[in-house]
Amino acid sequence: MPISIVVPQLGESVAEGTVSKWLKQVGERVRKEEPLVEIQTDKINVEIPSPAEGVLEAITVAEGTTVPVGTEIGVLAGAAADRVAAPSVPAPAPATPAPAPAAAAPAPEPVSPAPAPTPVPAALPPAPPTTTAAPGTAQAAADDSERPGNLSPAVRRLMREHDVAASEIAAIRGTGIAGRVTRDDLLEYLRGRATPSPAAPAARPLPAAPAGGTSAVPAAPAAPLPGMAPAAIAPSGPREESIPFSKVRKLIAENMVRAKHTAAHTHCFDEADLGAIVALRREWAPKLEAQGVHLTYMPFFIKAAVLALKEFPWVNGEVRGEAMVVKRYYNIGIAVGREEKGLIVPNLKDCDRKSLVQLAGEVNDLAARARADRLRPDEIAGGTFSITNAGVYGALNSAPVINVPEVAILGVHRIADRPVVRGGEVVVRPMMNLAIGFDHRVVDGELAVKFLRRVCELLERPELLWFYA
Amino acid sequence: MSAILAVCHLGPTPYREGLALQDALVRARVAARDGAAGAAGATDWLLFPDHPPVLTVGRGGSEASLRVSRAALAARGVELFEIPRGGDMTWHGPGQLVGYPIVDLEARGRDLHRYLRDLEEALITALAGWGIPAGRVAGRTGVWAGGEKLASLGIAVRRWVGYHGFALNVAPDLGFFELIHPCGLRGIHMTSVAARLGAAAPTLGRARHEVAEALARRLGYDRVRWAPAAEVRGLVRGIESSMAARPNAHQAA
Repeated sequence: MPISIVVPQLGESVAEGTVSKWLKQVGERVRKEEPLVEIQTDKINVEIPSPAEGVLEAITVAEGTTVPVGTEIGVLAGAAADRVAAPSVPAPAPATPAPAPAAAAPAPEPVSPAPAPTPVPAALPPAPPTTTAAPGTAQAAADDSERPGNLSPAVRRLMREHDVAASEIAAIRGTGIAGRVTRDDLLEYLRGRATPSPAAPAARPLPAAPAGGTSAVPAAPAAPLPGMAPAAIAPSGPREESIPFSKVRKLIAENMVRAKHTAAHTHCFDEADLGAIVALRREWAPKLEAQGVHLTYMPFFIKAAVLALKEFPWVNGEVRGEAMVVKRYYNIGIAVGREEKGLIVPNLKDCDRKSLVQLAGEVNDLAARARADRLRPDEIAGGTFSITNAGVYGALNSAPVINVPEVAILGVHRIADRPVVRGGEVVVRPMMNLAIGFDHRVVDGELAVKFLRRVCELLERPELLWFYA
Repeated sequence: MSAILAVCHLGPTPYREGLALQDALVRARVAARDGAAGAAGATDWLLFPDHPPVLTVGRGGSEASLRVSRAALAARGVELFEIPRGGDMTWHGPGQLVGYPIVDLEARGRDLHRYLRDLEEALITALAGWGIPAGRVAGRTGVWAGGEKLASLGIAVRRWVGYHGFALNVAPDLGFFELIHPCGLRGIHMTSVAARLGAAAPTLGRARHEVAEALARRLGYDRVRWAPAAEVRGLVRGIESSMAARPNAHQAA
C-alpha cells in the first residue's frame, strides 16, 4: 500500500515549505523513523523521518521547490509492496522471473576496479553501460529548471490563472533552454489536464488525507519523455522474454533521454601515449598494494582532468537556466557499471585537494560502495565533471553521454600496444584513445579539443602534474 | 515544559566537535521524550561554543555565496562546512557569540516561525539593554540595526527538537565576512556591537550571560543553570557510548 509523504504542519504561521534535500533516492529502502527528506521554511531546516518502513517509490516534488503545507512530495511503497515491480505495471506472466528491485538485497560484489580488460561473454550483446553516464538517481529531479524561480512571468501568470501547483510544474518536461517549462509546455499540459488521457491512468491510488485534515495536492503524473511512453508490458512467450524495467532502469532511461534531449551532444577524439603512466603504475602498484591501496589508472586520469579543468574552467560547470555556472571546485564523477543493477555516477569531492594515493583509495571505496548500494545521497549529487572508463570492458573508443547538467564528460579506454611513428621510426607504444562528449550549447569545439589535447599531454608527461598542479 | 534551561560556555570548540555535541544532545532529548531514562536528555540546553574561524553553509545556500576560491580559504585556515540547518552561508569565529539552543519544540507548540521570532526577540532585548536599538527586517530573518546585520539565525529541527541557532557579532573581525555573501544576500553589511558602541561595548562574557537570561525569559524558563563544560562533554561521551552499545537503527546505514 503506497504511503504518501507530505509536508507536515510546521506551525500555525507556516503555510509552505521548500524541499531542501532528499536524503534517500528513489528505489532506496528506508526504515521507519529514518531521516527521509529535509524541508526548509525561512531559516529553519526540518528533518522529516519516514512514516513507515518501505521503499521510496517516487519523488514528486524536487529539491528547491516550495509547496504548501500538506502537499504530497513523495510516495513510499510499504514493506509488503517491495517485491512487486510497480503498482502501475501489470503483473508479469508467471514464466517471467520477478525482477529484483535494486534496493532489495544489495549483495556486495567483489571489488574489481582494476581496468584489466574483461572479455564480454559471446552470448550477450556487448551492452556498453559505462560509455554513457547519467545519474541513476533522482538527481535529475533536482534540476534547477524545475524551480519556480526559473519560470518566466508568462508561465507564472498562467499558473495563477489555472491554479497550477509548483509540484505540477516539476512534473512537466520543459522544452525550453535547459529543460525550462515554457508557456507552450504549460498550455500543452493544461490541455491534457482538462481532458485526462486514458493512456495516463492514475499511477497509484490517491494518498489518504494526511493527519491534520489538510488535503494533499495530488501530483500530476510525470509527462512521458519521448520514447518513454508508457505501454502495456508485452506478455512473455517461449522465444521471447519480457522483463519490466526496474526502478533504477526507468530512471537511467529517463535521465539518458533527458541528457540527449537537453544538451547539444558533440564528440571529439584524441590519443595519448601512456608509456610514462604505465611505467609509473608498474613501479608503484606493488608498493601501494603493500600499504593496502590498490592502484588503478583512474587516479591518474582524475589528476590530469582536474589540472586541465583548472586551465579551462569553462568545461567545469553546469548550465543553469540561461547561464553558464563555472565552478571553482572539482567534484569528479566516476561512472560505475553494475551489470544488471544499472549504471551509477557517484562523485569524489574536491579532487584538486587530494593526492594520487588518496584518490586511489577513495576511487576504490566509492566503486565498491556503488556496487553494494551503499552510497550516500551527497555522493551522487553535486558533481562538476565526469569520467567514464569503457576500457574496463575492452572498448577502444566510445562517445559518452554527458552527465547533465554538467557540460562535458571524458571517456577513457583500453590501453593497447600499437605501432606509432616516432622520429620517422615505427615503434610500439602503449596507446589509449580519449573521447570528450561536450554540450555544444556552451562548449565550442575549439575549447573541447584544446582541453582534450591538454589531458593527453598531462598523461604523456606526468611530470607536468608535478610542476603545475 | 522544562522549567530550567541548562546553559554552558563550552570554551574553545572545533566546529566539528560542536556538531557532534549537538547531535548527541538532540538524540538524548528525543530519546527522553520517547521515554528513555537518564539525565542526559532531561533538559533543554543552550550551548555557547568558541569556534575558530569557520564558514558554514546551510540548506538554503551554496558555494555560490563564496567570494574567494576554496584554495584561498584553505590558505587562511578557514574550513567550510555544509550543514543541515536553514539559511545560506555565514562565518563564525572569535569575537562572535554563537549560541546553540537545543530545545524541545513539541513542548512549545510546534511552531517553527514563532521560535525564530522568539530567538530574534531575545537578542533584540539584550541589545536594547546595551543601548542598541535593533529590530527585524521583514523577510530577512536575523537582527538588524540601521540597515546593517548584527545577528544571523539558522535552525535545524529533528523530531521536533531544535538545534543550531544564532550568531551575534559582539566584537569579531568583520573582515572575515568579506569572504562571502553573508546569507546569500548581495550588498549587505554586517556590523557588530563593538562597531556601534566602541569602548562601551559589553565583553563577550557579559554578552553571553545577558543573552542567556534574555533567551530563557523569552522562551519561558523559570531559571538558568550554568553547567561547566566538563559536564556537557561528559554527558555527551555517555550518550555516544550508550548509542554505540545499543546500535541505533537510524545510524546503521
